[in-house]
Amino acid sequence: MYEFKLADLGEGMHEAEIVEWLIKVGDTPKLDQTIARVETDKAIVELPAPVSGKVSEIRVKDGETAKVGDVLVIFETTTLAKENGKANNAPATTVPASTAATNGQSPKSQTQSRPRVLAAPAVRRLAFELGVELEHVTPSANGRITLEDVKTFAERAKSAPEPVQFAPASVSPTISAPVQSAPPAQDERQPLTGLRKRIAEHMERSWRTIPHATAFGDADGGALIAMREALKPVAQQRSVRLTYMPILIKLLIPVLKEFPIFNASLDEERREIIYKRSYHIGVATDSPEGLLVPVLRDADRLTILEIAGKLEHLIEGARKRTLSLPELSGSTFTLNNVGSFGGGSGTPIINHPEVAILAVGRLQEKAIVQNGAIVARPIMPLALSFDHRLIDGAMAGRFLARFSELIENPQQLMLDMR
Amino acid sequence: MVVGDVTTAVDVLVLGAGPGGYVAAIRAAQLGRVVTIVEQGAPGGTCLNRGCIPLKALLTSSERYYQTRSSELATMGIATEAVSFDWATMQAWKQGVVDRLSEGVRRLIVGNRAEYVHGTGWFINDREVRVEGEHGSLRFKFEHCVIATGADAAPIAHLPYDGKDILTPEQALQLSELPEILSFFGNDYIALELATLFARLGVKVKLYVPGEQLLPGVEPAALRLVQAGLRKLGVQVSMKASIEQIHERPIVVSNGVVPRTAGLHLNDAGIKLSENGGIAVNSMQQSNIPHIYAVGDCTGGPAFATIAIKQGKVAAESLSGQRVQFAPLVTPYVVHTTPELATVGYTAEEATRAGYKVVSGRFPLAANGRALTLGTDAGVALVVASADDGILLGATLVGPRAGDIIGQVTLAIEMGATLTDLAEILYPHPGLSEALQESVENTLGRAIHVLAMK
Repeated sequence: MYEFKLADLGEGMHEAEIVEWLIKVGDTPKLDQTIARVETDKAIVELPAPVSGKVSEIRVKDGETAKVGDVLVIFETTTLAKENGKANNAPATTVPASTAATNGQSPKSQTQSRPRVLAAPAVRRLAFELGVELEHVTPSANGRITLEDVKTFAERAKSAPEPVQFAPASVSPTISAPVQSAPPAQDERQPLTGLRKRIAEHMERSWRTIPHATAFGDADGGALIAMREALKPVAQQRSVRLTYMPILIKLLIPVLKEFPIFNASLDEERREIIYKRSYHIGVATDSPEGLLVPVLRDADRLTILEIAGKLEHLIEGARKRTLSLPELSGSTFTLNNVGSFGGGSGTPIINHPEVAILAVGRLQEKAIVQNGAIVARPIMPLALSFDHRLIDGAMAGRFLARFSELIENPQQLMLDMR
Repeated sequence: MVVGDVTTAVDVLVLGAGPGGYVAAIRAAQLGRVVTIVEQGAPGGTCLNRGCIPLKALLTSSERYYQTRSSELATMGIATEAVSFDWATMQAWKQGVVDRLSEGVRRLIVGNRAEYVHGTGWFINDREVRVEGEHGSLRFKFEHCVIATGADAAPIAHLPYDGKDILTPEQALQLSELPEILSFFGNDYIALELATLFARLGVKVKLYVPGEQLLPGVEPAALRLVQAGLRKLGVQVSMKASIEQIHERPIVVSNGVVPRTAGLHLNDAGIKLSENGGIAVNSMQQSNIPHIYAVGDCTGGPAFATIAIKQGKVAAESLSGQRVQFAPLVTPYVVHTTPELATVGYTAEEATRAGYKVVSGRFPLAANGRALTLGTDAGVALVVASADDGILLGATLVGPRAGDIIGQVTLAIEMGATLTDLAEILYPHPGLSEALQESVENTLGRAIHVLAMK
């Protein structure tokens, strides 16, 4: 009996969804025949049969998600392929991926497939010793990395300029040592891999398909600040850290309900607008490798405190790259808190296949004119990018106005509270 | 608690003197460490005493005997009369080879001023090991420890090894009498080599292979030649065998190995195991306890001495403060059947699955002068390369000395050599490595000694 387990998918992915089985119980696929298609965070891979044998049981059905290590399917066959070391459980990928050198059973373990770094053993040894990643080194000789290349790279990495530090005005600013002149610059090439690659692909798709327009607005954050101040200590008693985001999400929901076109998606093939009846809010979050959008599911059914709790978990998970596929997909509208890293406003890119994205900037005291006088008010900049095929400027303006109204009058939420 | 327990402080403590352990010990000594190595048997471990070396020795002696019985010598004009062999003497010769090598290892250990302790060790905590042997009980407190305790034959459910009816490969090599009929279960190099060795000596051999293929994953064209060789020896091969359903006795089972970690009390040191049951290590051979290393079969990786040897060096260098890792691109794999088979790197199919556009070439040994002067034409050289840039990805060699020539290919792959690199250089003529060259040239569409069919 051979239990075929989902192998490590690499690139930090630890789950895959079975898109479809190409075999059923009772079939007898041959070794390496494609038996299933699985999806891992937007890439579809084909799984080859690890043995020839009769399928006795399929454990994970179409549409279900399996974790790495889960048994997917059981074959009736005895094989010592694993012991002999040649059975490679890694799924054949539609795009060549790097397979790490494993301590696995194969006596013929390879490191990367493509793109492969060409470096002689002595060069690889030096690179490891100096902590140099060969993928980042530009080969000098005929596509091959030499010992010199590695040494030069290591030296440049050491003499790289330190970032200049500026202390607050009350202390005299400290400036680090002057930048040493680096040896003549050599362009570095770094292949797009992993999350960065997926982000790039996603952004390309979004920008290519959706005609973007952005409406800018401002909201007076005074009432919001007051509300948060009042609620913070109570939240703390209930062990929840209350930031602005949970409140903003809660204020967003009624606006999405009033303007359903913003919580929709365009079926490009059938040219139909799909009005989503669920409210899954994507929250753009920074992770060490790049932008991730964890999803707060059914945000309309959650209380502010529940949203706050879930948000903490999602953001933590994004940073640690431990989120599962359902937590990273399925959003109907995305919110981007650019204020969390000091941003004002910008032109956010829509999270395809949604139709709009709202960026909220940092609350900042600004001088505005009220009743003929200049006053200082905390202003929150808003930037709403929308799919101009489905939403006109007027609609976008009204959306922003309504959202601003709720930010400025959050107590309106109580009118619809059950 | 042992009365009068004295703890000896040591710098580097190595547990096991097999290829992983003794190499780690010697390398550490070369780097200036003070080393103590603990071993319950003779120096050299399983490989030297019970596995690789005895097997290869008996393969040589059985081959010599077989050659004298075959018609080959007669065709060369050599007449032989009543050639016989004495199994006991053959075993004694084998043991002589083993003893000589083992003594050599012992001398190297002593010569490197490492202390050799006879006994069995286990962890008391993550800094101390207790060792018991004929000397009594010793307690060592170590700065660094390298675990190299190897592995045991994997057990089969309901079929305990007894060395008589159901044997491990080691037990097969130690048989004091040759049986008339001997069955083998397995599909790896050990099963095939043992089947070959006994068949050559006139034993009626049956080989039961689980699954559909001898040597899973090896190029089918190469396997055909090995299978033909087994047939020529009179080995009866059955595929898709299941061990529970074979009732022939005696039967030798090569079913893989399990890491030997049970007696080490790893829990007391807090050392973690990986899913395969071996000691979990990083690429610098460190366990989850940074000053405790593990190398070779006990880590649960592929059970090959060449891996243990390199990992032993990595561990020694690592604990001496060097930043080194065990990260070979490829591992050569050799099977000493007749014809001999050796392979390294990707097969054509594996390379395609890995995403390469593949070109491949082949050259039959029948067209190689050296092979014919050696009296054989059974063999082939298969080569796999990347179509885009000609980088050599793998090769499979079948024929005499394949296991030695494969070293050239291993170097080529690790260096990132292209087909052109291999085709450019000179090869000794007449030479078996010319088959490799011509296989490369065949890939490039210009082998001289094969009529182009591409």
